[in-house]
Amino acid sequence: MRSVQALAVAALLVLPAYDGASAGEPKHGGILRVYHRDSPGSASIHEGATFSINVPFMPVFNNLVMYKQDVPQNSVESIVPDLAESWGWSDDGKKLTFKLKQGVKWHDGKPFTSADVKCTFDMLMGKSQQKFRQNPRKSWYDQVSEVTVNGDFEASFSLKRPQPALLSLLASGYTPVYPCHVSPADMRTKPVGTGPFKFVEFKANESIKLTKNPDYFKKGLPHLDGIEFTIITNRSTAILGFVSGKFDMTFPTEVSIPLLKEVKSQAPNAVCVVEPVNVSTNIIVNSSAPPFDNIDIRRALALVLDRKAFVSILYEGQADIGGTMLPAPGGLWAMPKEMLESIPGYGPDVNANREEARKLMQKAGYGPDKRLAVKVATRNIPIYRDPAVILIDQMKSIYIDGDLDVVDTAQWFPKVARKDYSLGLNLTGNAVDDPDQSFYENYSCGSERNYTNYCNREIEKLFDEQSMEKDVAKRKKLVWEIDKKLQEDVARPIILHARQGSCWQPYVKGVTIMVNSSYNGYRYEDVWMDK
Amino acid sequence: MGTSRLTTINFDSELRRAGAHSTHGWRRLLFLAQRYLLGTVGLVIMVLFVWMAISADLICRYDPLSVDSAQRLAAPSAAHWMGTDSFGRDVWSRIVHGARVSLAVGIGATALGSSIGVIVGLASGYLSGWVDLLFQRVTDILQALPLLVLALVMTAALGPSLPNVIIAIAIPLIPTVARVIRANTLALRELPFVEAAKSIGMSEMRIALRHVLPNTLAPLIVLATAQLGSTILTEASLSFLGLGIPEPYPSWGRMLSESAAEYVRTAPWLVIFPGVAISLAVFGTNLFGDALRDILDPRQRG
Amino acid sequence: MFAYIVRRLVLMLVTLIGISIIIFVLLRVVPGNIVDILFDAAGFVDPTDKANLEKELGLNLPIYQQYLNWIGGLLHGDLGYSYVSEKPALQEILPRIPITARLAALALLFSASIGIPLGVLSAVHQGSRLDYTLRVVSLSGLSLPSFWLGLLILMASVSLFGHMPIYNPNPATWTEAFAIYAVPAMAVGFRSAALTMRITRSSMLEILRQDYIRTARAKGASEASVNYRHALKNAILPVITVIGIEAAFLIGGLIVTETVFNIPGVARFLVEALRWRDYPIVQNLVMLIAVVVVVANFTVDMLYAAIDPRIRYGD
Repeated sequence: MRSVQALAVAALLVLPAYDGASAGEPKHGGILRVYHRDSPGSASIHEGATFSINVPFMPVFNNLVMYKQDVPQNSVESIVPDLAESWGWSDDGKKLTFKLKQGVKWHDGKPFTSADVKCTFDMLMGKSQQKFRQNPRKSWYDQVSEVTVNGDFEASFSLKRPQPALLSLLASGYTPVYPCHVSPADMRTKPVGTGPFKFVEFKANESIKLTKNPDYFKKGLPHLDGIEFTIITNRSTAILGFVSGKFDMTFPTEVSIPLLKEVKSQAPNAVCVVEPVNVSTNIIVNSSAPPFDNIDIRRALALVLDRKAFVSILYEGQADIGGTMLPAPGGLWAMPKEMLESIPGYGPDVNANREEARKLMQKAGYGPDKRLAVKVATRNIPIYRDPAVILIDQMKSIYIDGDLDVVDTAQWFPKVARKDYSLGLNLTGNAVDDPDQSFYENYSCGSERNYTNYCNREIEKLFDEQSMEKDVAKRKKLVWEIDKKLQEDVARPIILHARQGSCWQPYVKGVTIMVNSSYNGYRYEDVWMDK
Repeated sequence: MGTSRLTTINFDSELRRAGAHSTHGWRRLLFLAQRYLLGTVGLVIMVLFVWMAISADLICRYDPLSVDSAQRLAAPSAAHWMGTDSFGRDVWSRIVHGARVSLAVGIGATALGSSIGVIVGLASGYLSGWVDLLFQRVTDILQALPLLVLALVMTAALGPSLPNVIIAIAIPLIPTVARVIRANTLALRELPFVEAAKSIGMSEMRIALRHVLPNTLAPLIVLATAQLGSTILTEASLSFLGLGIPEPYPSWGRMLSESAAEYVRTAPWLVIFPGVAISLAVFGTNLFGDALRDILDPRQRG
Repeated sequence: MFAYIVRRLVLMLVTLIGISIIIFVLLRVVPGNIVDILFDAAGFVDPTDKANLEKELGLNLPIYQQYLNWIGGLLHGDLGYSYVSEKPALQEILPRIPITARLAALALLFSASIGIPLGVLSAVHQGSRLDYTLRVVSLSGLSLPSFWLGLLILMASVSLFGHMPIYNPNPATWTEAFAIYAVPAMAVGFRSAALTMRITRSSMLEILRQDYIRTARAKGASEASVNYRHALKNAILPVITVIGIEAAFLIGGLIVTETVFNIPGVARFLVEALRWRDYPIVQNLVMLIAVVVVVANFTVDMLYAAIDPRIRYGD
């Protein structure tokens, strides 16, 4: 199956994606014009949880370390220095020390020092006077006991227990270093960073403008004079704009497969790639109330899913089937195919699966004459609503009559938190392709984003075990085992992992779309235009 | 315009004046159909849509909600007259079932808005005094906001569901109806037969219901037909903006919105047919409403 | 007359106060507020953080207190701060007004320049095939949803010219500026044009039947001169009324058209602000729209009195 998909992708692509190096010496100048899919709520990356914020504002900042921007697959090997010159682990694996670059200046002229690093992470851990309005990734630093400085140019993270994955989290586009001297409120409206581009203005629902930082500490960078994002919420209008040459690039990983076809027919020279975004479409199951407190009905639900139908209807084949971790080849932690297909509901014979599901339903007391009515809650956004429509259609075959319950954005999480649902259709984005991020956030007992309240102490132990494991091969085996168990428990059935397209005009060089995260690849310091 | 005009109509004499000499029912109908050809066309369109809505299950070969991954985005053909959408659902079946939603909202909102408007208008015109003053101010307030703006805020407040959308669209309709009814009631109160009824000791309530209300029916019918079209349009706009009827029901406006817009060029039938359905339904009611106004309210006749 | 104007102004004020109360209450009975939406991005709601944020935004105060704060601010020209952008609401709303105003003015201009001549034509040739056709066309104009018309225009423009008008705050050329505003204005003005045509036609017909027109004809004035000089002059009155009525409709049309054409005007801003539960923006925008409608109606009535000497408003 994987090879079929690869073929489909190859057929869609006219040019290989990573042609930055082959195109000769980078030219300087030009404003990169990009459309933005929606108006982000603020400019503060730390307070947001959508890549609508990362894309336009990651160029304003630097991290301590980052994923090398021209390597498509994020991994420990692709982590490079950013504000840090070098880093090192202590022998017991409980202390991570960064040596910082000297002479770096914030956009307002103040010098960058280790104090800024401490400020940023103290605030993320909720330890400082100043608070973020909201702090969605606080749990990333659960194992960090404190951040200490040694002089102006050295900072260390002390850990409660070894956690090699911390470095991966620090390399995410979600982890920029903020200045001490600017308040969180100002960071939401007028962000100040050290990055290759300076913030100019952000007009809600209209545009975001960045301009070149002439004093950028990486010599010779950035190549562009600036970046302009025009906010266009209507996808087809936006694509028409790109096709007619009003934009140099689409919003990254936002071009759907049907629209991609349109781009190919209208602008055959455009460079387009389709890559996984590491966002899974999944079902949250309320197992604390009838009818899904019955494991048989939960298992029947897992068996009824015809994942290939979802993939072909929603993504015209451009999506991957897997467990919690992003499937290969994009994902690093995916379990092998044979292992995956041994999980109930993942086998290729949908009819046999459904026959089994019907038996389970009958065991639970349902049948053709006694159908089960459930509400399927989801948000009033197509990417949520559309899979819910298919789910309802598929459940009909096992005596379940689903009724779509469309929930407004403002009411969605309060409703989920109240457990006021039976089934919910949900999307889960993973900023970093690392098990620590997805397991703790979505499945550990008591985590705020563990909407289903799935809690299994046995698995919890395995979470910690894999997290402390330094040997990657051993860690992978543990991760597979955990992932398989999660699926068998029907904790949160994963339907698919989506892929999305990104396109740019042929003269745009040096853009790399990451293949296992849609949050980390937008520094844009080495992007240039050949015109 | 014309809201303050007094309208009491003797239908028989009106029809005779228009040239219908026969008193025979169906001949008169035939005459009217010839005299008001456009109106007849409108009526036929309306009847067609109502028939579609009522017998939707008989007309369609497909379940409008049934998903078929093998039949995605099929172009119009003998099997699927209007093609299929991205879920492989039959567009014709969805349009036919969509008529239910559009008519339910159109007729429901118009009926609800008109009946409240009649009550408010009658009370306001008949009781006068502070009741009148209060109702007048409320209608002022409702009239100062555009229909779509009020409906938008209301649906956002109530949440998207069929009854809520009907309520949200009905409320902005109240003032127009209330104004017309009030003006008519005020004028009727001065007429001799009302005076006479009063003098023989009929109760006010009875006069209002027996004499005043029937005489305001004509302008009410004209107004309601005119509003039917705009309610259908408003529902479509709300759905287009994502605030209308939620997903399981096929609604023409939503069929046109985001997901359909994605296929503007690859599957134009997804954009064309729902738009045609909305326009045709509204066009029918407008044609019919025009003719109805000509018949029932001759002073506005062109 | 003076007393009438004063009475009207007082009633206008009462209406606006009523609207402010209704919109304020309506917004606050909505389940979920800006805080829920902000937390939505985080993927969970933290009760303490939520309470803190509600306090920061003043959402914890009793509702009458919130209302008084808003109205008190309005009287001082302080519209509050947008919850989302955290900028003054005035600063968010003001720059968007000219964009929408330009669109609306162009749409009205379009509707008058198409609707009035066609209406006159239709009336003069009453009963003819032309009249019939024009009436059907105008009715269909009232039946097309403007967002659909907009979509069709965009589709056609890309197929025919290979590009489409996309909003740009600083159009480089006059033609670009024209395309940016005129195309959406036509999409939204189509309906008004149809309405204008219908009203022009019926008022023309009424006037053509009147005595002084007959007198003019009897005196030997040419047919054309009668039709266009005498009759049109009088028929202009009801057309002004249409513009008054249309002000409200037009705003509705602008909401969807600005969405289709991605124009950052006030009309679309209302939809976005509603979505974000950005109360300060929604409240003030609705008030702005109400003021526009109320003032438009008032102006129309006054124009009516000024133009037509027969109309005199009693006290």
